[in-house]
Amino acid sequence: MATVTKTFIKYLKQEVSIAPLVIFRIAFGLLMFVSILRFIAKGWVNSMYVLPKMHFPYYGFEWVKVLPEAGMYLVFFFLLLSSLGILLGAFYRISTILFFVLFTYVELIDKTNYLNHYYFVSLISFLLIFIPSGRNFSIDNILFKRNDLNYLPRAYILLPQLQMFLVYFFAGIAKINADWLLEAQPLKIWLPAFSHLPLIGGYMEKVWLAYVFSWFGCLYDLSIGFFLFNRRTVYTAYVFVVIFHLATALFFNIGMFPYIMMTITIVFFKENFHQTILNYLKSWFKYKGAAFVKLNTKANVSRGLMLGFCFYFLVQCLLPFRYLLYKGDLFWTEQGYRFSWRVMLMEKAGTAFFYVKDGKSGREVEVDNKQHLTYMQEKMMATQPDMMVDYAKYLCKQYSNHGFSEPEVRVKSYVTLNGSGTREFIDPEIDLSKQSNSFFKNKHWVESY
Amino acid sequence: MKTIFLSLLLVLSLLGCKKKDDTNTDKDLPDEAFDKQALLINIADNVILPNYTRFESDLNMLNATFQAYSNAPTLAGLDSVKIKFQAAYKSYQHISLYEFGPAEQVVVRNNFNVFPTDTTQINSNIASGSYDLNMVSQLDAKGLPSLDFLFFGRNNSTAAVHALFASSANRRNYVKQVILDMKFKADAVIAGWAAYRTTFVSSLGTDVSSSIGYLINQLNFELDYVKNAKIGIPLGKKTLGIAVPNNCEAYYSGNSLEYAIESVKAIESLYLGKSTEGIDDKGFDDYLNHLKIQRGSEALTSAITKQFAVAFSKLNAIASPLSQQVLSNPSHVDAAYVELVKLLVLLKTDMPSSLGVVITYQDGDGD
Repeated sequence: MATVTKTFIKYLKQEVSIAPLVIFRIAFGLLMFVSILRFIAKGWVNSMYVLPKMHFPYYGFEWVKVLPEAGMYLVFFFLLLSSLGILLGAFYRISTILFFVLFTYVELIDKTNYLNHYYFVSLISFLLIFIPSGRNFSIDNILFKRNDLNYLPRAYILLPQLQMFLVYFFAGIAKINADWLLEAQPLKIWLPAFSHLPLIGGYMEKVWLAYVFSWFGCLYDLSIGFFLFNRRTVYTAYVFVVIFHLATALFFNIGMFPYIMMTITIVFFKENFHQTILNYLKSWFKYKGAAFVKLNTKANVSRGLMLGFCFYFLVQCLLPFRYLLYKGDLFWTEQGYRFSWRVMLMEKAGTAFFYVKDGKSGREVEVDNKQHLTYMQEKMMATQPDMMVDYAKYLCKQYSNHGFSEPEVRVKSYVTLNGSGTREFIDPEIDLSKQSNSFFKNKHWVESY
Repeated sequence: MKTIFLSLLLVLSLLGCKKKDDTNTDKDLPDEAFDKQALLINIADNVILPNYTRFESDLNMLNATFQAYSNAPTLAGLDSVKIKFQAAYKSYQHISLYEFGPAEQVVVRNNFNVFPTDTTQINSNIASGSYDLNMVSQLDAKGLPSLDFLFFGRNNSTAAVHALFASSANRRNYVKQVILDMKFKADAVIAGWAAYRTTFVSSLGTDVSSSIGYLINQLNFELDYVKNAKIGIPLGKKTLGIAVPNNCEAYYSGNSLEYAIESVKAIESLYLGKSTEGIDDKGFDDYLNHLKIQRGSEALTSAITKQFAVAFSKLNAIASPLSQQVLSNPSHVDAAYVELVKLLVLLKTDMPSSLGVVITYQDGDGD
């Protein structure tokens, strides 16, 4: 055992080329710069963080508050700036910390906007804080007259690789369920919507195609990480990565995600591939890294850091399974659904009618959700029990301020999951504003599926 | 070696499906994929455009009849104005739900049918004789609800209304301006559709900004609007159960219920793809049936058909005018309300979720 550990540590400390991480840093910085610019250009800062009258906080993060309009735009400006910092390797440590903190802050404001790929960006930028990928071909080296660092311990390259492996692998695990594999749901619903596409359109309504896509997607997710790690299959595997992500880009409205994944997967490529690109870039920009006088200190990986990352990945591996601790159907209650790489996994839609009762007179009003929520918020809230509780608590406060005494908030809600047809979702008799989103409580008031 | 194994991935998934496929042969769909373009062409040419044309022609009739009345005010003249007005208001119900494309640019709902109408503003406009109907502040002083007030008045006999018109050129002029404002906007929508039709019938996706996305979103927006503005609010759903009869659509003529029913009929026509002549061609029911969408043990379309029937029967069971029924017989109104809610759930959640249509009015990335 001791020798195994020793060999493993030796393997982690083995010096390898820094080139893959330099290219990774540049690609990530560039993709983030474009994504954030696109986010602002689409007016989403306004529609997601300025227009809403209330926000849906994450449990335990209720203290994270949205800033006024100017403040939010300033945050996005600094996100642009720090992604440039990552791209150029300028003030690298500050840039990565700033990017991670601001990006995560924006995501924590409102769970309406939760996307697995935003979570992924938060994690990657967190890892980049510790990865010394700004020590070669960087503005920092020019500013501080340092020469380029050419080798670093293998552990650093393994960080983004392992993270990507886990994303794929758990996305695959999540697909091992009866609806996905045996019923080909939700693809059986989603694909026919593309029957108008040229060439392939005619096949979109075929039931067998939904099965092919479901099974291929599942096997792809489960296995692609292994093939990417293997030096002999990495390039063939990459062809599949491109096919897979182009297909998802064609069929689903998932923005930048396919392009982010396609680009940064090249971190698995062999060192000489990255070295060639790096040399080319350096000559293109007339970068003379070796001419600097100051010796770049060797990049070490401390035992503490290694232990920290072991803990990080342990948590990453456990989070997707936390749903097992809760009663009820995961897709229905969504307790333990987020932060688990459940990507495009179900077709769920709902309608929710909220009623606020004046505790004294017993009289009741029906709430016009549009007056309080954006369309996006209402749509997300209508299928997610924890968001309904947040909304009920907000309504309770609002109506209380408007003279209701001891308001009670009820909801009549109907949800359809993977073509099940609408069913009653929440116990219509329960006062939702008195319920809790605690991790330690089952949501017993969600009707059973 | 590993490369071969990797290539096996595809084959494996093919095999996996082959086996599962056999158990689902009963659900196999027709060989031909559903022709979404045929659906859009039918809805554009046989539902939307004829309804616009009918509304435009009713509006022209109203305009001509009122011009004649204005030139030589007689009691009989006012009676025919009222008849033409009610016809136009009724046919308006069949265009209200198409607020996308040219209609969205003109902002039809807000320019044609904001109720309750602001009678104080109308009276002050008439008294001063100076107003700009294009201003946002005039939205609730114009359109069909303002004419409903001016032609019928509060408990006024035709003779009393006639007397007011006969004695006031300002009043006659105001009505002319209101009608012209609507005519101008209706003409703009129809002119816009001449070019928009091509865009409309060739947008075949199901995302928010596709034609099918627009139709389904607006269909549900309209049903929600019938449920809330036309029935729920007068019934007191937003006011602690205390009825607000003044908030009825067409409160002064008392046609509220008829127009609400007409709105639901318009929604049904869009759903069925039913033309103004009553010919039922390709609509969303055909799309759902083509995909063999089930809801429990029955077809989703059969659940929807039944729910339309129940909603109509409950609406028809309410006596007219609605403004009195919300006070004297609220349980009848509530019964209709409950059925409209059920219809809304089927059309807003079951239908789009079965067709893979994104029901949201906001763009965004999914996960």
